[in-house]
Amino acid sequence: MTKVIPPRWAETVLCLLLAPRDRQTVSGDLVEEYRETIYPARGQLRADVWYLTQVAEFLWRDNRAWAALLSGSFLARTALDWLVPTIEFHTRSTMSTAVSAGILLSAGFWAERRSHALLAGALAGIATTLIAAIISVIGAASLLAMWHDPQTRAAIQSSGGLEEVFTLPVMMVVPGAFLGVLGGLVGAAVRKLVPDTPC
Amino acid sequence: MAGVLGAFEQAVLLAVLRLHGEAYGRGILKEVQARLEREVAAGAVHATLVRLEQKGLLASHLGPGTEVRAGRPRRYYALEPAGRRALNEARAAVATLWRGFKWPLRGRA
Repeated sequence: MTKVIPPRWAETVLCLLLAPRDRQTVSGDLVEEYRETIYPARGQLRADVWYLTQVAEFLWRDNRAWAALLSGSFLARTALDWLVPTIEFHTRSTMSTAVSAGILLSAGFWAERRSHALLAGALAGIATTLIAAIISVIGAASLLAMWHDPQTRAAIQSSGGLEEVFTLPVMMVVPGAFLGVLGGLVGAAVRKLVPDTPC
Repeated sequence: MAGVLGAFEQAVLLAVLRLHGEAYGRGILKEVQARLEREVAAGAVHATLVRLEQKGLLASHLGPGTEVRAGRPRRYYALEPAGRRALNEARAAVATLWRGFKWPLRGRA
């Protein structure tokens, strides 16, 4: 029984989400539960699903606030384009891009500060973007359900169309990972310049 | 009533108290699940333990690892005096809210 192990890649992801002081203890708790309770009761496949669910919950907990901010900014921009149409999008695009980049850089920065691992920044960027994409798509569909009169539909077309509204959040995953790493680099640099107070 | 513990924080603190020196992450998780009679995510328990320790309501120390944990240590938690006070205040707050009513409430539920 002590030989079975959860998926190694999932364990690596978990450790990227944890502060250094918690890596051994928390991963040990999950391995203990996996080996003593979950695997004997459910078998390998369902035990692995259980483990992945636990890791996903850590991922959700660490990134949900950033994802809420990111999707909120995207939906605010979408609502603005639909309800207050304009022909000059440059200023709005610059502002919304800057806000999104700032959120993703911050997510990467705090992930690195927490876990002291640069890859944690990339993971934060990816997770934040994916969670935000789901919220944004649902939110945009809700906006469309509320406002779909001819005037609004014309505004939607002139601002990029529904294809952009529903695909842009998903396409942000790769730049999200990049910005997360960048934020992580800043976090690592700050940590070197301003060491954490020892407890 | 400002600063009264949330229901889940109380569940975690009471689990630590109930486990008498054997309160480590997995043990606390299983105790909370048993008392709440539902599945609880390990992340929720971990986040609550970290928060309660930062507030000074719990203290922790590392214990030895075991083979089943692939040699990884356990982190044991113990209630601090501030944690005991917080639990007492939470219980008193509930008693104040219920003053004048008898449990269980009668009528259509």
